[in-house]
Amino acid sequence: MKNEISQVEQRVKRYWYTDGIGELIGGGVFLILALYFTMQEYFGEQSVVGGLLQGFFIVIMIGAIFLGRKLVNFLKTHLTYPRTGYVEYRQSGRNTMWMRFLAVIVGMTVAMASIFITRSIESIDSMAAITGVLVAVIFLVKQGWSFGVARFYFFSLFSLVLGVILSVSGLPSGYNLGLFYGIMGVTLALSGGLILKRYLGDNPMAAEDRNG
Amino acid sequence: MGDDLRGLTELDRLIHEPARLLIVTILSTVESSDFLFLQRETGLTKGNLSAHLSKLEEGGYVKIEKTFKGKSPLTICKLNAAGQKAFQGYRQQMQSFIRQTS
Repeated sequence: MKNEISQVEQRVKRYWYTDGIGELIGGGVFLILALYFTMQEYFGEQSVVGGLLQGFFIVIMIGAIFLGRKLVNFLKTHLTYPRTGYVEYRQSGRNTMWMRFLAVIVGMTVAMASIFITRSIESIDSMAAITGVLVAVIFLVKQGWSFGVARFYFFSLFSLVLGVILSVSGLPSGYNLGLFYGIMGVTLALSGGLILKRYLGDNPMAAEDRNG
Repeated sequence: MGDDLRGLTELDRLIHEPARLLIVTILSTVESSDFLFLQRETGLTKGNLSAHLSKLEEGGYVKIEKTFKGKSPLTICKLNAAGQKAFQGYRQQMQSFIRQTS
C-alpha cells in the first residue's frame, strides 16, 4: 500500500513534465546562453560588445529565466490545463529545501574537484568540463531523482559526456560553452517539442464543462 | 480479535475507501487541483468523483471552490489542514499495521 501511495504521489509530481513545455522553454534559455557565450568569444572581452555582454550577463540571465517562467505558465494555461486539468504545486517544504541545499553542496564540491583535476592538465578546458558536470548534477539530483522522470537521467549523462568531449576539443573556452549550451538547448527543445506534440495528439481539448 | 486487527478497525473509514484514498493521496501531493485533473488521475466518472468529493467535503477534509475561468466553470479542490492530518494519521496506522502483520 505504501508503494502504491508513493507511486500515485510520484505520478502527480511528474505531471508537470508530462507536456514537455518546461524542457522546450528550458532549451530556449540554454540557446540564449549559447548565443551569449559565442558572441562574447567572437567579439572578445575587450571589445565594446563584449564589455556590454559581460555587464548585462545577470540582466540577460534573470530576464531569460523570468520570461521563460511566464511563457511556461502561459503555455500550460492554454494548452495543458484545458486538456488534462489544472494543478497548483505546493511550495517547497523544509525537506525539499534541504535536499536542494545538499544538491548545491554536492554540485559545488564536484565542480571544485573538477577545477583541481582539469587545471593541472593544460589541454583541458576546465569551464566546459565543470559546466557539463554541474548541469549533469542539476538534472540528476533536482529532477531525475526527485520526480523519477527517466529522460532526465539521459540528459544528465549526455551533459556529462558533452562537457568532457568539449573540454578536450581544443576550441576557445567561449566557443566550447556556446557549443555546450547550444547542443544541450537543441536537445532539450527537441525532446520537449516531441513530447508536446505527442501530448497534444494524445489529449484532445476537453469539453467545456469541467465542473463536478 | 488480536491487537493488530483491532488497530485496523480504528482506521478512518472516510479515507480508507479506495476511491477516496486515491483522491486524498493526489490532493495531499499538491496545493490544489481541478475536477478534470482528479477525474483523469482517478479514472472515476463525473458522478462518482463528485459524490466522493462531497463526502470528503462533508467530513471536513476537502475544500471545494467553484469558480469560472473565462466562461468555463472550474472546480478547484484542496485538502485542508484537517484532511492532511487525517491522511498522515491513516498512513501511519496502515504502516504500523503492515509492520506488525508481516
